[in-house]
Amino acid sequence: MAPAAPRTGEAIFASVERVNAELFTLTYGAIVRQLLTDLEEVEEVNKQLDQMGYNIGIRLIDEFLAKSNVSRCVDFKETAEVIAKVGFKMFLGVTASVTNWDAEGTCCSIVLEDNPLVDFVELPDTCQGLYYCNILSGVVRGALEMVSMKTEVTWIRDMLRGDDAYELQVKLLKQVPEEYPYKDDE
Amino acid sequence: MAAIYSLYIINKSGGLIFYKDYGSKGRMDTNDSLRVASLWHSMHAISQQLSPTLGCSGIELLEADTFDLHCFQSLTGTKFFVVCEPGTQHMEALLKVVYELYTDYVLKNPFYEMEMPIRCELFDINLTQAIQKDRVALLGR
Amino acid sequence: MIGVGKIKQYANVLDKPLSKGKQEVSLSAFAFLFSELVQYNQTQVDNIAELERRLEDAGYAVGARVLELLCHRDKGNRRETRLLGILSFVHSTVWKVLFGKVADSLEKGTEHEDEYMISEKELLVNKFISIPKDMGTFNCGAFVAGIVRGVLDSAGFPAVVTAHFVPMEGQQRPRTTILIKFAEEVLRREASTYNRIVKR
Repeated sequence: MAPAAPRTGEAIFASVERVNAELFTLTYGAIVRQLLTDLEEVEEVNKQLDQMGYNIGIRLIDEFLAKSNVSRCVDFKETAEVIAKVGFKMFLGVTASVTNWDAEGTCCSIVLEDNPLVDFVELPDTCQGLYYCNILSGVVRGALEMVSMKTEVTWIRDMLRGDDAYELQVKLLKQVPEEYPYKDDE
Repeated sequence: MAAIYSLYIINKSGGLIFYKDYGSKGRMDTNDSLRVASLWHSMHAISQQLSPTLGCSGIELLEADTFDLHCFQSLTGTKFFVVCEPGTQHMEALLKVVYELYTDYVLKNPFYEMEMPIRCELFDINLTQAIQKDRVALLGR
Repeated sequence: MIGVGKIKQYANVLDKPLSKGKQEVSLSAFAFLFSELVQYNQTQVDNIAELERRLEDAGYAVGARVLELLCHRDKGNRRETRLLGILSFVHSTVWKVLFGKVADSLEKGTEHEDEYMISEKELLVNKFISIPKDMGTFNCGAFVAGIVRGVLDSAGFPAVVTAHFVPMEGQQRPRTTILIKFAEEVLRREASTYNRIVKR
């Protein structure tokens, strides 16, 4: 049976059940607030948000694969394009683009045109070190790890911190497909 | 009448996380099903190495005298396979549906721990509906 | 430079025009986020009652903000002063904005004067969640109960709000009831002021 053709981000987003972004935004705000209360240190909150994103990413990847019909990417360039064009679109309804490739093709930037996490949000003086959207970096990292890519994902530009855009840097560290015999076999 | 005998889901380490027996044939106890799943996991991996072509993704269909086995492996390594009557149609489509039910009712469940056996009521309910809708399952219970 | 100019920058977030509330995200995105909210809170508690309380508290802050947002945007800053008014607001407006539909039903409790119930066949937040048998009657809808409490409290109608599964005859899945028990001061105020003006 021939594999089904890959679908565009727009097509998938139009076909799935959607909710008001405000429910999403306000719920995320509640999470950040809980973390700030529980952990107090902004650096700890940044780490926890990234971890939570990672936990989401390792689960979200299967839905991404199931709905997008994307087959194994030929190279990291294709991977980044697919994250930006299909991934961000089908889940967040956000248009994103890939830029700033390095010479080896292992490091690039994903720039978001929109960001539903940050509606109504302003960082107070006490939280200037907070990477409010750090959950997104964790999601990308977790998702890629489940398809055998170890990456480092960091925020290069964050509008809540005074920059002019939302830019995520994704750096491929290692590609490790699991091959038989697996390491934990006797 | 074309029938589904059983459905298995294996995590990426080869552990059985879901097993449903739909018929009276080949009924297995827990230990047997765990062993069989683990064996299939290894066979699937070996088949990728045996393949003369590059980039083989493992066994998708196994046809025997008394049954067919259709297997789908996601890019994350989770395997979904169904044992059915020889010649049963639309099994790949069914596996795709099961994969989507898994991404909804298992992975979105906060009480489900990754890689562990699936015990999600909504997954069971929706899976039963999907199988019944196909009208190919022989519910022997 | 890519990205510059796409999202307009404002010196002050208060200058930014209030969104019309038409933007959407996938239900999956919300479901994964909510699942993580529940999972995180599970690590912070020792028992189910505490988990419920933490989810309710998380919802409370959402409720307070939703009230501000909707009062300003959809109600032209008119303030609800009647009990049935605020209940109707929650059952219809708040539900429509947050969950895409009005709630299935709004009923007055038969046993107690201070109780009202908003019911849903299946709460949006519970759509993909199966509660393990060993968690008894726990309902993640505690988050929604918190939202309702946040709205009511901020509108001047303090209440205790809880979420309950109610088994339905002939249905495989129970429905969820959000039980609202108003504080005594609310009922006194309703009885005194309004019954004098309008006899119902």
